Formats: sequence, C-alpha cells, structure tokens
Amino acid sequence: MNTKRLLLGMAAALIVGPALAQQPAPAVPGWAVGRPEGSTLAPHGPTLTVTPVDRLPVAALRLPEGFSAAVFAHGIPGARAMAEGPNGTIFAGSRVIGRVYAITRNADGSTRTRVIAQGLNNPNGIVMAGNNLYVLALNRVLRFDNIEANLDNVPAPVELTQAFGLPGEADHGGNHFWKVASLGPDNRIYTNVGAPCNICSVDRDRFALLVSFNLDGSDRRIEARGVRNSVGLAHHPVTRELWATNHGRDWAGNDTPQDTLIRVRRSGEDHGYPFCVGSWADPQENAGRNCGEFAQPAALLGGHTAPIGMRFYTGTMFPEQYRNQAFIALRGSWNREQLSGYDVVVAKLDAQGNVTGVEPFMTGLRDDANQRFLGRPVDVQVLRDGSMLVADEQMGAIYRITYRQ
Amino acid sequence: MLRMLAAAVLAAAIPGAAPAQDAHRGAELARQTCLMCHGENGRSQTEDIPSLAGQPADFITLQMILFREGTRQVPVMNEFAAHMPDKDIEDLAAFFASLPPGPPDDRRARDAALYAAGQALVGPRNCGVCHVSDFGGRAQIPRIAAQREEFLARSMMEYRDGRRAGADTQMNGAVVGLSDADIAALAHFLAQQD
Ligand code: HEC
Ligand code: HEC
Repeated sequence: MNTKRLLLGMAAALIVGPALAQQPAPAVPGWAVGRPEGSTLAPHGPTLTVTPVDRLPVAALRLPEGFSAAVFAHGIPGARAMAEGPNGTIFAGSRVIGRVYAITRNADGSTRTRVIAQGLNNPNGIVMAGNNLYVLALNRVLRFDNIEANLDNVPAPVELTQAFGLPGEADHGGNHFWKVASLGPDNRIYTNVGAPCNICSVDRDRFALLVSFNLDGSDRRIEARGVRNSVGLAHHPVTRELWATNHGRDWAGNDTPQDTLIRVRRSGEDHGYPFCVGSWADPQENAGRNCGEFAQPAALLGGHTAPIGMRFYTGTMFPEQYRNQAFIALRGSWNREQLSGYDVVVAKLDAQGNVTGVEPFMTGLRDDANQRFLGRPVDVQVLRDGSMLVADEQMGAIYRITYRQ
Repeated sequence: MLRMLAAAVLAAAIPGAAPAQDAHRGAELARQTCLMCHGENGRSQTEDIPSLAGQPADFITLQMILFREGTRQVPVMNEFAAHMPDKDIEDLAAFFASLPPGPPDDRRARDAALYAAGQALVGPRNCGVCHVSDFGGRAQIPRIAAQREEFLARSMMEYRDGRRAGADTQMNGAVVGLSDADIAALAHFLAQQD
C-alpha cells in the first residue's frame, strides 16, 4: 500500500480524551489487526533531500519498443501529484515535505522549479481550473488565482477550507487523509475522503468516499461509496465516467486483497469497503455481506502495489493503441514480503470501456533479485505534445516519456 | 524472520541515498551549534533535549527537514534548521550516526516494578518490530534505547495526543489508547536499555 497511516483509533482517542486513555491498553492495537507474528514489515522512509541528477535511475527504466525516458525536472524532493496550467507550467504537490512546486520550461529545454507554497500539511491535491490552482492539503483547501502570471510573487491564496468542509486531521485520526483532486468534464472538483483506519467500520456517508464539489466548494455530491483509499482519479475522455485507483487494506496477506482500478458507472454507487474488495470478503469486517451486492472493480492490480496517480492517454504522440487507455503509477509495496509494484502500468480498455488486460509500461525501478527499489512512481501526466510525465516521489524527479517510430 | 528483516532493511537502502555525507564536516558544524544542547558526545545531559548519538542518519535527516519546513514544530529547532542546506543536514546526520550511543550520565536507577510493566507492553505493542529488537532503530525509525526517559515519555504522549506525526503516522497508531502510566513504564524500560 501507499505509506499507510496505520492508526485506528486516534480520532476516538482524541474525542474521548483522558477517559479512554485511562482504560487498560488493548492487547493488539487496531492498526495491527491481522498482522502475522514476527513480521518486521514497516513503510519505507521517504528521501526528502535533493538527489543529484547523476544518481537518478533513468538508465534503469524499461519501456516498450520506440519509447524513451529522460529527466524532465529534478531537485524537487517529494514531488507527487501533478497538474498542468494553461501556459504549460507543471504544478506538483507533495506529502510530508509540505511544498507545492511550479516547474516551468526554459527556452533551452531545461526546467526551472519554484516553491510556490510550503509548510502545508500533505498538499497532494493539485488541480487547475481555468487560470486558478487549487491545493487540497490534509486540513485546508486553498485557491491561488491567476497563478501562472504570479509565479515570482505568489499572492496569498483564497481560503476555501470552510466552503469545502472536508473532514480534517482529527476526524481522520491521521489515516488516509492525503488528497488527490481532479477537474471533471462538468467543471466540478473531484476528490477523495479516505477511510480513517486500516480496516474498521466507518460512517459510510463521511468516509471512504469519492466526492465532487462546485468550484466554490458548494453542492457536495457523493460519487462513490465504500472506496477505502483512492489517491488517483480521472474521467474517461469519451464516456466521461469517473475512474479511480483504490488501495486495499494491510495485514491480510501478501496477495489479498488486491489493489484495484474502479469505474464509477453511476454516481453514488457502492464499492464495498469495509466489507469486500471485489469477490473477496474481509476476514474481520465482512459482517455477513454478500460481495455480489457491490460494484466490482474494473481491474485487479495486485496485492499492495499501491496504485496512485492515473490518467487516460489523450495525446497523439504514442501509437494509436494507447489512445484513451488508463496509465497508472504504482508506488510499490511495503506490507508484502516480496516487493510488488514500482512500475507504471497501462490498463487496456475496449470500446465499451471494459478492461481487457493490464500491461507493464514503465518498469526497471523494482530490483527483485536484491529486494530493493530505485524509485517510486506516483503520478502520470499527459502533456499537450503527447509526451507523458512520470513523477518519482522517492527521487524527487519527473521523467518525460516520448515515442518515436 | 531474520531473512525478512534483512529484506526490509535492504528495501529501504536506495542507491540515490548513497553516502556522499561527510561526518568530519558534520562534526565541525555540530561543534558550532548543536553539541551545547545535545551533549558533547551526542548524549544529552539536559532535560527534555534528546540524545542524538547513534541515531540512524536517515532519522536525523528526516527530522531536520521536518524542522526546516516547519512541519514538526519545536521553535528552537525550527530556528536552527531554517534555511539549512541539505548538505549540512546530511553531514550532521552522518556525524551523529557515527557516535556510540549511550545513556545520559544522570540516568536514574532502575525501578524494578516500572521496568517490568514497560517490558510487558513492548511485545504486544510490537515496538521492536519497527525499532528493531534491541530498539536501536533503522532508517527513518529512531533509536529509542538509552534515550532520555522524560523525552521518551513526552514524545509518546505527543504521538498519542496527535501533537506529533512523522512522515507517516505509524507511531501514532502504536501508542493509541496507552495511559500516562503505560507510557511512563515504557519510557523507563527503554531508557534502561543499552
Ligand atoms: C538550544 C538547544 C538546541 C540546540 C542548539 C540544538 N537543538 Fe536539536 N533539539 C533541541 C530540543 C529541545 C529538541 C527536542 C524537540 C522536542 O521537544 O521534541 C531537539 C530535537 C532535535 C532532533 C530530533 C531528535 C529526536 O529524537 O526526535 C534533532 C535531529 C536535532 N534536534 C538536531 C539538532 C542539530 C543537528 C543541531 C545543530 C544544528 C541542534 N539540534 C541544535 C534543542 C536544541
Ligand atoms: C509500525 C512501526 C512502529 C512501531 C510498531 C512503533 N514505532 Fe515508535 N516510531 C516509529 C517511527 C516511524 C517513528 C518516527 C516518527 C517520526 O518521524 O516522528 C517512531 C518514533 C518513536 C519515538 C520518538 C523517538 C524520538 O527520538 O523522537 C518513540 C519514543 C517511539 N517511537 C517509541 C515506540 C514504542 C515505545 C513503541 C511500542 C509501544 C513503538 N515506538 C512502536 C515506528 C514505530
């Protein structure tokens, strides 16, 4: 899974306060439910210092015939979710380093990176609407107006936290609270509200949701329920349906449950958390529910692969077979004995929008023989020239993938 | 189990983080600004100031970045870390990581009952799973053995009460629901480790 916030009852502890704190400590904390005896698995630490360009693993990247990868930008520690402004600026959010970056291209093809916001709490929700940049942090929603004209002198953002009214820190108990954001074809902002725990029963109208809002934060609508922790959203360019990546729970096996790609056919439909993932019934929280009642995943992406950012390919540079296919960045596992993920994969869709297969696209960052990784892909972004950017959070770099016949 | 641990440690060892750090330069920097508080040999003799000797370099680096970016709020440290270049942070981390860890000179005598109460909690709470069985830490996970007792206790309360979180909230989860007395016992047990 993505770096897990394995914190079950912190919210409860905060609300109940000293009373709860005085009760005898539970033998096994909720986050460790299902944890096998003796497991030493723990999330991998981030690298938040600048990685010199000559240490970036570009030479290790493997792509299908005709594609090549180069460093687009580097020296941007923790760079994660990306968005492109109308004038071509790439904005990148981050998690624990708390920064929002703006990356512009110089005339000679090199890039320049500015930090346009800092000290924020996990500002990973990055979305452009017209000329305005929206930043969704864990506890705040900010709008930077006319941002590309003001990169050198960023004015104070408009505070929209109250208007959006998303659950804050205390509500989430530190779990799955980082945001992803995307602009829908209906000009609404789509975002996620993760589950406040690894696995627990939740208020299903408040947590484990995909939601959308008008640009001013009004008119909240539940787009999908029972979505444990999505950190990637995109609308299909033709059908306009919402698609999302979703992380399964931890400590229930190396291969179960699988992380998934979901397709929201009907606004408000239920994807099963905490009861089921596809046909897999949760061993602790199934509560006797039949998994057939819930929307089934569009694709299974493997145990703990940690799918994060996804985009449909809408450019023309790549061969025709990639048009409107879903590219997904897999950040890679920690809660699994053997590493999985660390690739960019492409989900192949037929004309009806059914996934016919999931294929590796960019590989080479996972070193199976030595059980180590060279980088962690976290988002993909299709540029207007049809090339594709891939953000590597661990290396603080963005790679650009081009195709030539 | 040993094999699994090796894999977990390796998985965190990224070539990009390969040591370009200079512990000698770090020692120079530390002498100028850090040792007066964190102790001449990296073992703090001052209440509420943690020892840094033998901490994993990744842990020190990460905490210094959190201080620099203001995402871990400790005014004195935020000031020292402000605008500090990555290179200084990495060199300082390499220096403190190279120092032999150990308890403060004024470590209090063992209280058998308190020690036993702490010991009874570390197993069920999986403390050694992340911090390693000797509590010496690994990568971004700190050494907690022989740390100053009052600092250990205070930091656990901060995690429990949502006043501190690291790169992830693993620690907040680990101390959920512990009472102040549980925390005091854990702190005593850990402070007594060598
Ligand atoms: C004026 C005293 C003072 C000075 C000087 C100082 N520190 Fe600190 N440092 C503290 C205190 C107090 C804390 C404990 C923060 C807390 O309350 O959690 C701390 C915490 C830290 C921590 C986190 C350790 C942990 O276990 O959580 C690191 C790392 C650190 N300091 C490094 C440094 C470095 C490197 C320098 C020199 C550049 C330095 N400090 C200088 C007082 C100081
Ligand atoms: C799932 C992994 C995990 C478990 C289990 C765990 N810890 Fe931690 N612990 C961490 C990480 C990661 C940090 C650093 C967090 C940060 O960056 O603030 C940490 C930090 C700490 C600190 C702060 C030390 C310092 O110098 O700042 C203390 C004290 C501590 N842990 C004690 C414990 C105790 C006691 C237990 C068992 C009750 C425990 N931990 C269980 C991962 C874990």
